[in-house]
Amino acid sequence: MTQAVQNLVDGLGQGSIFALLALGLTLIFGVMHLLNFAHGELITVSSYVAYALASRGAGWETLALAIVATSVLTAVAIEFLAFRWVRGANEFTMLLTSFGVHFVVAALFLMYVSPRPLNIPKPGWIFQTVRIAGVALEVVDLATIAATALTLAATSWLLRKTLFGIALRAAAEDFDAARIMGVRSNRVIRGAFALSGVLAGVAGIFWLMRTGTAAPSAGLTPLLFGVIAAIVGGLGSLGGAVLGGLALGLTQVFLRAWLPPDLSGLTEGLIFVLIALLFILRPQGFVTVHRAERV
Amino acid sequence: MRRDPVDRWLLPAGESATLFAVLVGGGALYAAAGGSARDTLVSQMLVNAVMVLGLQVYIGNTGILSFGHMGFAAIAGYAVAIMAIEPAFKRLFIPEAPFGLAEVDLHPLVATAVAVLFLLLVGFFLGLGLARSGARAGAVAPTMITLALLFLVHEAARNFTDLTGGERSGLSFGPGNSLQGRGWIYAALGASILVTRLFRETRAGRLAQAGREDELAARASGIDPAPPQMIALLLSIVLITIGASLRVQLLGSMTPNFFFFSYTLLTLSMLVVGGRKSVTGALLGVVIITAGNELTRYLASGAVSVPGLGWLLREGLSDVFLGGAMLGFMILRPDGLLGDRELADRIRVRRRSAEPPPEPLTAGAAAEPASTLTAREVTVQFGGFLAVHEASVEVRSGEVVGLIGPNGAGKTTLLNAITGVVPVTHGRVTLDGHDLTGRPTHRIARAGVARTFQNFRLFPSLPLREHVAVAALVAERHRRDRARPDPGALLSAGGLWEARERPAREVDTGTARRLELARAAALAPGFLLLDEPTTGMSEAESKAMIEHVRSTAAAVGAGVLVIDHDLHFITRVCDRIFVLDQGRVIAHGTPEEVQAHPQVRAAYLGTPAEASG
Repeated sequence: MTQAVQNLVDGLGQGSIFALLALGLTLIFGVMHLLNFAHGELITVSSYVAYALASRGAGWETLALAIVATSVLTAVAIEFLAFRWVRGANEFTMLLTSFGVHFVVAALFLMYVSPRPLNIPKPGWIFQTVRIAGVALEVVDLATIAATALTLAATSWLLRKTLFGIALRAAAEDFDAARIMGVRSNRVIRGAFALSGVLAGVAGIFWLMRTGTAAPSAGLTPLLFGVIAAIVGGLGSLGGAVLGGLALGLTQVFLRAWLPPDLSGLTEGLIFVLIALLFILRPQGFVTVHRAERV
Repeated sequence: MRRDPVDRWLLPAGESATLFAVLVGGGALYAAAGGSARDTLVSQMLVNAVMVLGLQVYIGNTGILSFGHMGFAAIAGYAVAIMAIEPAFKRLFIPEAPFGLAEVDLHPLVATAVAVLFLLLVGFFLGLGLARSGARAGAVAPTMITLALLFLVHEAARNFTDLTGGERSGLSFGPGNSLQGRGWIYAALGASILVTRLFRETRAGRLAQAGREDELAARASGIDPAPPQMIALLLSIVLITIGASLRVQLLGSMTPNFFFFSYTLLTLSMLVVGGRKSVTGALLGVVIITAGNELTRYLASGAVSVPGLGWLLREGLSDVFLGGAMLGFMILRPDGLLGDRELADRIRVRRRSAEPPPEPLTAGAAAEPASTLTAREVTVQFGGFLAVHEASVEVRSGEVVGLIGPNGAGKTTLLNAITGVVPVTHGRVTLDGHDLTGRPTHRIARAGVARTFQNFRLFPSLPLREHVAVAALVAERHRRDRARPDPGALLSAGGLWEARERPAREVDTGTARRLELARAAALAPGFLLLDEPTTGMSEAESKAMIEHVRSTAAAVGAGVLVIDHDLHFITRVCDRIFVLDQGRVIAHGTPEEVQAHPQVRAAYLGTPAEASG
């Protein structure tokens, strides 16, 4: 029982990170029908900024702010340098463009920093636990869950109550109609990328706290899980993305806990089997999004 | 318009031979001028070319972005290494190989053949999964499935150390265990070029390409993209397996990272730079990327020092080059340098321009038995919105029936429901009593219900002739019991004959609409459903379209259901008219009856007072 609660909190903590990434991916998919495989680069670039600051003695409060800021700037820069030019191109082109961005960013860090992973010191409290009702819970999980809840609440307020948020949701629903109603496409797309940058930044803080690594492909694993969560959630459904992320985190933790120890090396492999099966059996995800294509 | 064997087979075979000769001859010249390093480089380039052709068959023809092909290559690499390395040597790396594999000792060629069979089996099941996921050009699900395969194989290779030797030791070929000399590479490359080039001309290749260009338009032309995609996948797996086998033997060893992300990047860049849709383009990409890769590596190695460029000429430059090439081409020239052009396209076009003009389209199909297409009380619901509400429409062969109504009345939705593009919530669609409700679009098309689209959907990079020709290919197999119109005559009747070699993306709206009609008619359908065939046309063009629709329908012996806004057009062309308003049929009858109908005047022209005022 105690173990189950621990796993639950652990899974939600992991899942929160995926949920934030998935939400950003689904926002971008909504406004430009792009599944952004370069979303992980926000974490990659942030990881190097965090490394640079940490090696100059900055504390994690500074790192957190820097990570979010870097993530937003990177998101906007990638939109400006790459995705703006393939807007409206066919899906194949957009998909490969996002992979191209990933490869270029990874190669640049390989070229100018180091092909080897660099170490970012983890905060001291990361391994601490607190006892709540007799159950020892990891502080980092609770912090992740709390920060994610706050971020999601703020995002929800932004999307519902501000003019920008309403324009963004309208554009995700029907871009042409939104444009006729006076929504400026450049602004709304740039805004979507910036917002996805904030979300990825918050996710990045906790991801980097856990891994403590800056590397040319530091963002690849969280990206993959974010993409999976977004698609599980129906790609386009904001609530679905969050649920997809949490479900994925829980699956990962419980799988690791229940597999016999000599198979634990295969957890990753098993997750890839599940992913393949998932896309084969339910390519549209578990949250149905009605997307009317006009023919 | 039938293509003669020279056009269809001899020219492509000649192109293949030329490409092979240029690649091999150029490589040999380059290698002859330098040492053994050049020799290895050329061998690697030729093996990479086999791998890239393997990617081209699948990705190029179907438009589906696969990351899994290097996963297949990794399986193939291990399979060949495990079976071909002699037992005494193999025990150094994997003494505890399961299934008695430690004792297997096959000739490399036999090992490759076994690997091909094994991977065909794996690929077949993966292909079924891809089809189940609704794979189509640019879709995300197949990309994710194949990416999962790539990572899965990589994880397995790292962890099943009993079988693979893991990351540390890997597997190495013993002396004399692998094929030597470049002859095998030449043979594999020559065969790969010929097979990939000819595949583009086969039925499966052409149907796959139509599906790549526009999946829905392909389905509406009776094409089910899944079988051609499967054939392309299996063919590509054979090439990838052979390429992987040659590559591990050339390098003399196999580790988990041989066929992983960086090799995927290398081969994908090669594929897209020259032009993934064409074999010539794929090979051009291989040469360009190999040259660029070597040049950047050389420059970054410190062999030359250019003052002021030290920041650029450093290790990792070649990775930036590869990623940059992929990204740059996607942004600036997504179809690569060549698009879908092949080597001898000029010759092909010149030969074809000498074709005799086709016989005129004759009203020869009048002998077809009478037939009826019925939609009975069809309801289509989107969430809480009733787009079509218990609408009943009937068309008989030989007549032209109009479907009119204000914007948002549900006309296009009804047409989509009849052709299986949107699901029918209630009601039935029948063709001579046979139930079509809920059948997939391509089956409805094969049953003889062809259609056009309001926002026309062509196959942008295919020439006009191919639009009509693929529909005729489908008709040949699925409309055997009917007289099939001559594709050339259909082009000619639509005024498309002169422009037949031009790609569809270049044509104007009027031409596009006539081409859609010709493509639909080439299916030898019992019924033609036309969605706004005159929208975007000039007045003169739409006048001509009236006669064109009538004569085409008469020639193929089809009944017509036509949606249009142009009341003049509708009343001139139609025998009967159905009026749709807010999803319901509010009136039907002859043009005169309908025009006199008070509800129609209210719905169509505004309130009666406004209409009379």
